[in-house]
Amino acid sequence: MTALTEAASLPDTTTISKPRRRRMTASATAAAVVVVLIVLTALFGPLLVGDPVAGDTAHRLLPAGTAGHVLGTDGQGRDVLARLVDGTRLSLLAGLIPVLFAAIVGTGLGVTAGLSGKWGQRLIMRTLDVFYAFPAVLLAIAIAAALGSGLSNAIIALAVILVPPVARVAETETRRLVDLDYMEAARASGASRSAIALRQVLPNVAPPVVVYCTALIGLSIVYSAGLSFLGLGISPPTPEWGLMVSEHTQYIYSAPFLAAIPALAILVASVAFNVLGDGLRDLLDVRGEVRA
Amino acid sequence: MAGYLGRRLLMTIPILVGVSIVIFITIKIIPGDPVASMLGPTGSPEARAALHARLGLDDPLPVQYFAWLAHSVTGDFGTSLARHDAVAPIVFDALVNTLILTLAAGALAIVLGLLIGALTGLRRTGIAARIGNAFALFSISVPQYSIGLLLIIYLASNAGLFPVSGMHNPNGGGGFVDLFNHLILPAITAALVPAGIIARMFRSSVLDVMSMDFVEALTARGLSRARVMRHAFHNTVPSLLTVAGLQIGYLLGGVVFVEAVFAWPGIGLLVYQSITQRDLPVIQAGVLVSAFAFVLINLVVDALHGLVDPRIRT
Repeated sequence: MTALTEAASLPDTTTISKPRRRRMTASATAAAVVVVLIVLTALFGPLLVGDPVAGDTAHRLLPAGTAGHVLGTDGQGRDVLARLVDGTRLSLLAGLIPVLFAAIVGTGLGVTAGLSGKWGQRLIMRTLDVFYAFPAVLLAIAIAAALGSGLSNAIIALAVILVPPVARVAETETRRLVDLDYMEAARASGASRSAIALRQVLPNVAPPVVVYCTALIGLSIVYSAGLSFLGLGISPPTPEWGLMVSEHTQYIYSAPFLAAIPALAILVASVAFNVLGDGLRDLLDVRGEVRA
Repeated sequence: MAGYLGRRLLMTIPILVGVSIVIFITIKIIPGDPVASMLGPTGSPEARAALHARLGLDDPLPVQYFAWLAHSVTGDFGTSLARHDAVAPIVFDALVNTLILTLAAGALAIVLGLLIGALTGLRRTGIAARIGNAFALFSISVPQYSIGLLLIIYLASNAGLFPVSGMHNPNGGGGFVDLFNHLILPAITAALVPAGIIARMFRSSVLDVMSMDFVEALTARGLSRARVMRHAFHNTVPSLLTVAGLQIGYLLGGVVFVEAVFAWPGIGLLVYQSITQRDLPVIQAGVLVSAFAFVLINLVVDALHGLVDPRIRT
């Protein structure tokens, strides 16, 4: 799972000897602005641009800067800007939903494992370890290919590979909490296991998991677009960045810069989410001891 | 050392069993009846039932699993639906090509990662360190297919500096120089993510070691900077080995996109093509072989780790 947990796993040691500055770095702030812009584009962008599916084959492969088509047109004469803006929605969703799913399921599994006895903990965590024996991308491809192409199947495949690393973060954090005094107090006061899990553990496990998951979003966007690029995501003609890359690659000789547009969009989104995730991690001083 | 290796080998067995179960499940969740597609629309219900029985599809799932496992272990991955040929030789030929790309990219990533990690770890301020840090963060975030396409667009297709795709020039040529030319862009593309990760890991490891007491003690004793650095570097080797080994393993997965973009005839391209053809036996075998290679690489890394760091043998 190459960079899967990478973004969240490396403690920043620059500030190891001096007191930590509780301030977002300039690059993290810039990244936050870009992320907000991307989200706004996904929300309202499609209202501002034309029909992303309507094509006019008489005007195919127009270069960028043509009147009426700021980014030109694609191989079927569809406006590239309209498709790029409209595609933001699905590209973002396809990246966010697996992370959200993994956050919920992974936290559930991790907290359960951390609170249960030796055997319960072993059963859950050793089972999840199996997923670490696969190169993550390949496992996602195998699952998505078995389920058949389609956006929801790609999302399921991604969610499956994201659960184990999140569960590890939640489990590590839970086990750190178990021995603390206030947990002892809660047990002594007769609180039930589920009450302890919900009221004592969950609120304390949530912050690191949230920060960790923020760092996963960039990666999830890259992977989901990657699955579409391989033909395992959304089916044409719906616009989505990974699919656009794959469509535009056909014209790499006649219109080479066409493929660069969606490729750059994915790159910008990925960098923005990763820099923001990095900044948040430093800000909140969360250290995920996990590698996937 | 032998005991450590033995224990590590034993730990690999349940992992491999788990891997095989996961792959088997992905085969079983495929919708549709394979027999129906094998016989076509003309197959009678009797013929269908007979083929079902012959293929063992009526057996309980555990029985089917062990039958499948027995075949896979002996290198029998079945027949490709699209190529009508045995899967095993196809997959192993592709694996060799993938390993060539993986090793080239891995070597590049380690060199780049070490340089940038050392630079940013030893000089924490200044323009070079800033560029190094930015590069590390950027390279971790770049999607391989994006950067691969950009390299093709700017360096290969227009400028003609490098071949656009494939592994060898189809019109004669061949040989090492030809292979090397074809290897450069895919290797750079695949190396970026691991290079960034190794750089960041090595940087924090350098920072850790340089703040240890022994560095100060050696300096106080009057050792030259170079000799102090040699001692310090020695202490970063174990973590470097772990992360570099892991990254080479992860490259096996990451190269899927690189191979798809550059049409490099490895496991990734094979899997990519098999997706369009719905050729599931090839996809499963490709993933199984990659996972196996991945587990093997991790094993070798752990063995080396035990060799250089006696502390973890216990």
